[in-house]
Amino acid sequence: MLAAIAGLGYQSIRSLVPNVLYEPPQVFKLGLPQQLAEGVTFLEDKRLYVFREGESYYAISGACTHLGCTVKYTKLNQVKQVEIDGERKTVTGEFNCPCHGSKFYGDGTNFAGPAPRPLRWFRLHIAPDDGQLVVNMGQEVEQNFRLTV
Amino acid sequence: MQIVQSTKKLYRRLTWSWIPRSDKEAGDAIVKNILLHWFPHKVSKGSISWWYSLWLGTMSFVLFVILTVTGIVLMFLYVPSVERAYASVKDIEYVVSFGWFLRAMHRMSAHLMVATVFLHMVRVFVTGAYKNGRSVGTNRPLNWIIGLALLICTLLLSFTGYLLPWDQLAYWAITVGTNIASAAPIVGEKIRYFLLGGNTIDQGTLIRFYVLHVFFLPVILVSLFAWHMWRIRKDGGLAVVDREALSQKPEQVAPVKSKTYSLLGITNGTTVHVQTRMVNEEENSLPSVPNLSRRIWLVTLVTMLLVMVSSIIVPTPLEAPANPSVTPNPAKAPWYFLWLQEIVTDTTIKLGSFTLNGALVGGILLPGILLVLAIWWPYRDRSSINATGVWFAPERKRQNLIFLALCLFVILLTIVGTFLRGPYWDFYWPWEAWPTTPIRF
Repeated sequence: MLAAIAGLGYQSIRSLVPNVLYEPPQVFKLGLPQQLAEGVTFLEDKRLYVFREGESYYAISGACTHLGCTVKYTKLNQVKQVEIDGERKTVTGEFNCPCHGSKFYGDGTNFAGPAPRPLRWFRLHIAPDDGQLVVNMGQEVEQNFRLTV
Repeated sequence: MQIVQSTKKLYRRLTWSWIPRSDKEAGDAIVKNILLHWFPHKVSKGSISWWYSLWLGTMSFVLFVILTVTGIVLMFLYVPSVERAYASVKDIEYVVSFGWFLRAMHRMSAHLMVATVFLHMVRVFVTGAYKNGRSVGTNRPLNWIIGLALLICTLLLSFTGYLLPWDQLAYWAITVGTNIASAAPIVGEKIRYFLLGGNTIDQGTLIRFYVLHVFFLPVILVSLFAWHMWRIRKDGGLAVVDREALSQKPEQVAPVKSKTYSLLGITNGTTVHVQTRMVNEEENSLPSVPNLSRRIWLVTLVTMLLVMVSSIIVPTPLEAPANPSVTPNPAKAPWYFLWLQEIVTDTTIKLGSFTLNGALVGGILLPGILLVLAIWWPYRDRSSINATGVWFAPERKRQNLIFLALCLFVILLTIVGTFLRGPYWDFYWPWEAWPTTPIRF
């Protein structure tokens, strides 16, 4: 009897853990690289910032690492020099979180507020079939990642 | 005259199958009645005083009844699907006859219930009502723990209901809330996945929260409530009864001349002096019906009035439909969780390269510690039996002050979160204007 009850309990709870998710795909195409505007492009439905600096591209997640609110990118009026991990870097923009006031430099490094980690960076590559820019939001990369086309 | 008496007789025949001939018969009738058997035959005057319990528990129950009744009607009108939830709430608000009033009553009762259950807990603590008296078989600490479970159940009911309108307010409050769960070590991400039914707040989440809100949590709450009430009866009523029993001066009964048995045989003498306490005596207690029942009706009436009037006065917000890509600025949790939101903002700890997420400290560890402390406290409280059921007993002064300071801290953080936080969670005085920030990025 106990085994039957335990079994029924297990199968009831297990059935609530989805095996298939009907969520938007983690890997998707953005179009041809040269069509992407210079600077920053925000993909609203993906909560993703894609940056183009001439021939190099990189993508930073717009989800705050504290509690998942969408951060807002602001271009700084005045470029500033900051020290990140002992390295002096030039910062041209900042991310701000509306929920709890976390702040990140333009490369996603957290510097104020409760966010415990930098914003996530995702892999970019060129689709072999049609040469479009592809984002893989299922694969995180280091902050020095750049896709040069 | 004859007609009046005949009418009375007819009315009695129609409404009564039997009429009690004595107080005892009337009392038995109450105990045997399924609706009235919650009540004892008689209650002490202290238990039904307005100022001892403030009737906050009764108010909470009345609010729950209002929530159930309005909630059942809303269930006929609400569609728990991502595509239609927002539109159905909009219909309830603007198209359905009295829909706005039903929704407003449901919302106001939910907010008031969180407040009354919290205040009820505060009252029980400061009166030391979780302490056992002298009676045998009492277990008030257990009832205090059941009460804490009821408070958590109330908060969860309110939280799960928060998502259902599927507007911006709902979506982002649940984003913040479920991300706090994911900050738990090791199993956090799994808990979030299970709660949401996936990685994002979508149809899976809505239906889960809906089922929890309309079935699981109410069933748990009703079961706990029945247990709570049953324990009150088992514990001999409210804690104030124990105080009354103690405060009664033993009365000496005049010795009666009689024969006394001793080892040496029967001798003439007086009986042993019997000392009695008066708590169960007629002058200290009243029949439950109508004294208790009348007050319960009055509290019900006042609570309903409060809910109805506040539902008319206070506007019920319905923001723009949920949009996962636009976070409102500022994004705030429901008011009763704003103290937690305030804590999670301020408790990210950095020790060299090691960072402890504020969500874990403020969202899980701190409330967890507070809850464990609250469960343990009745067993830790070593104050004497004289401090049971007494408002601000001098013996419990220090613990009452610490408890009230904690409550005040929570209330203060709630006020700061509600009124003094603006865009990017920056601090603004109420008279300061918020800077205009773009809604879309």
